Amino acid sequence: MWSLTRSDAPSDEPVLIVDERVTGATESVLEAGVVLGMPRREAEALAPFATVLPRDLGDETRRFEPVVALVEELVPRVEVVAPGLMFVPVVGAVKFYGGEEALAERIDKELSSSAGEFSEKTPTCPSRTGVGRIQSRVPYLMGIADGPFAARWAAATASPGVPHIVTDTISFLSRLDMGTLRESMGGEEMIDTFRWLGVNTLGDLARLPRETLASRFGTPGVLAHRLATGEDRMVDPRDIPPELGVELAFEEPLESLEAVAFAGRNLAEKLLRKLRPLGLAPHTVTISAGAAAGLARTRVWRSADPFTERALTDRIWWQLRAWVETAGVPGGISSLSIVPSDLSGEGRQLNLLTDESSAIEAERALARAQALLGPDGVLQARAQGGRMPTERVSWSRWGEPESPVERDTDAPWPGATPSPAPALVPPTPDLIEVEWEGGLPTRMRLGSRWEPVLTWSGPWRLSGRWWAGESDADRYQLVTSVGAFLCVVVNGRTYLAGVYD
Amino acid sequence: MLPDWSQVLDGLGIATTTNIATHVLVDGDGQGMLDLQPGRITELVGGHGSGLTRLGLKLLAPHSRRSPVVVVDTRGWISPEAAWETGVLTDRLVMVRCDDQILWPKVTAALLEGVRAIYVEVPGNIREQDLRRLAALARVRRVAVAMRPLGNGLPPGVAYLRLRAVGVTWEGANQGHGKLTRRRLVVEATGKGARGIARRFEVEDEGTDALRVVSDVVVDQVGRAVG
Repeated sequence: MWSLTRSDAPSDEPVLIVDERVTGATESVLEAGVVLGMPRREAEALAPFATVLPRDLGDETRRFEPVVALVEELVPRVEVVAPGLMFVPVVGAVKFYGGEEALAERIDKELSSSAGEFSEKTPTCPSRTGVGRIQSRVPYLMGIADGPFAARWAAATASPGVPHIVTDTISFLSRLDMGTLRESMGGEEMIDTFRWLGVNTLGDLARLPRETLASRFGTPGVLAHRLATGEDRMVDPRDIPPELGVELAFEEPLESLEAVAFAGRNLAEKLLRKLRPLGLAPHTVTISAGAAAGLARTRVWRSADPFTERALTDRIWWQLRAWVETAGVPGGISSLSIVPSDLSGEGRQLNLLTDESSAIEAERALARAQALLGPDGVLQARAQGGRMPTERVSWSRWGEPESPVERDTDAPWPGATPSPAPALVPPTPDLIEVEWEGGLPTRMRLGSRWEPVLTWSGPWRLSGRWWAGESDADRYQLVTSVGAFLCVVVNGRTYLAGVYD
Repeated sequence: MLPDWSQVLDGLGIATTTNIATHVLVDGDGQGMLDLQPGRITELVGGHGSGLTRLGLKLLAPHSRRSPVVVVDTRGWISPEAAWETGVLTDRLVMVRCDDQILWPKVTAALLEGVRAIYVEVPGNIREQDLRRLAALARVRRVAVAMRPLGNGLPPGVAYLRLRAVGVTWEGANQGHGKLTRRRLVVEATGKGARGIARRFEVEDEGTDALRVVSDVVVDQVGRAVG
């Protein structure tokens, strides 16, 4: 585990790095009670003085890349799980270096000697949930244990710069809290149920009969029991036929990030299309890039869940961006290849009530549409509270984390425009002409014609926030022979706010 | 940008109540025509205000229970809230905004390659050959498509079923009292999907996901809202 830095963070101010939860923070923010992994809102309340920056996984990968490259020079085929966290298979390396302690010492020596080159003069932000504070000159935590799960938590419980070598993995695991399963396999509800039943540690879980867990929780229960008993190994180790890999060669080496991103997306799509008919999904992929200058770069990425097309595209993009921006591929990329390993049959597992294959195809189609239109062309919406139709929808780009809802949907919202909602809502209200007689609407102008108002309802008063310079407004539903309209009258002028189409 | 209201009025053709004769036949087969069928295009013809956007969104609702559904919005006006009210699942609805007439055929084709059900606003001036290609693609990929032409209608033979809004009546609002509660939309169905015979039926919409097709109703109050 490596502590990453942010170049765009102000050097003398407290900083909070967030996505939905806190992923990094400076010392002063941690001292205010913020804990890594804490929900964003809670952290912002505890440290209102901190500058909040959104997490940039691509940038984190770029910064992590030199660390990975250094370790890979000592031990081949490291597996990158996420920026800041990698697994190193040590079986062969232990024999070569003469033991686990000697290997850890060697890695520590290399990382310590290069730590100054990697770190920049910016606040250090521990990047992994549960890692704790890092105050060493060496911004990493190292753990050695049987299996990736145990090694990950060995690292999390290590002291900075002092490797935690676990000699009795089962005993070590038995002391871990149930919450440690969350990162590896999700299953929030199952973990809560375990706690409710008084099963609070992995040791408690390991003592339960596996058959009982299988009948109560199904596959997730068995997986949890395997992790608790130290049986965490490769999902389905077997030889991967080389023809399952995919490769692209380019006559003109790719140097621009846009071209690289496009190529990466194509390659991910090609690989998964190849695996899908076989009912296979990869948990680990080896991404290789050939540089025009003759150099070849390789990196292994791993995921607990099988890679989806989007997840794989993201990993490829982060990796290629890291190589391009750190001049890792001099002269540009002349070839790209992805070879899957750790294949599982997850691709075959279809839900009875939903069409998973449709969802995958739709995802690909939407990704293409997004490539044509740009990220703001494909959107998803969520309900939020509000009085006007435009306020009641929270938009976010498709494929990106949902933006936080600004207004509570469960709040009463007195004075909200009554349902049904207008099907057409202009992004900003349009000025229209409406004639009034004695305060009652008589006709409205639609294009070149005046249409008589057959009937109407309202007005509903909307009190503006006077302190923000907003005026009061009245809303009317006007019905004409061609349809019904939602209008807003502000300062004597009428605006179209919706069409009941 | 306001809709082209002259087109609205011409398209709807119900400027007064007298345009609808009291002998309108309401056909009992209407419910079957309100199902988007895989590989078929249903054309929705009528002006803004006629209720066809909501009807088009409603057609997507059953498909959203199985896979993601897409709405192609050319002006950025379509409200997802209306879609949710008609029963489209929130997390299965994706809105694609495309106001570029050059890109529109490409984007629509890309979507037809992967999605199972789609509601598309068709801008004016889209070339006939592009629309025919898209129709062929929808057939091959077995995509259920609802198309709402904003300009001229679709070329002959593209749509399997053509639903034209003939009249719309609102209930609930009464000279300042109450609020809009129920819409009655009279729809005329033509094309292969209607077995070559023009059929009329009425669709009641109460703002919830229950959209009823009413049989054996004589429509005589189109254009008049009653409290």
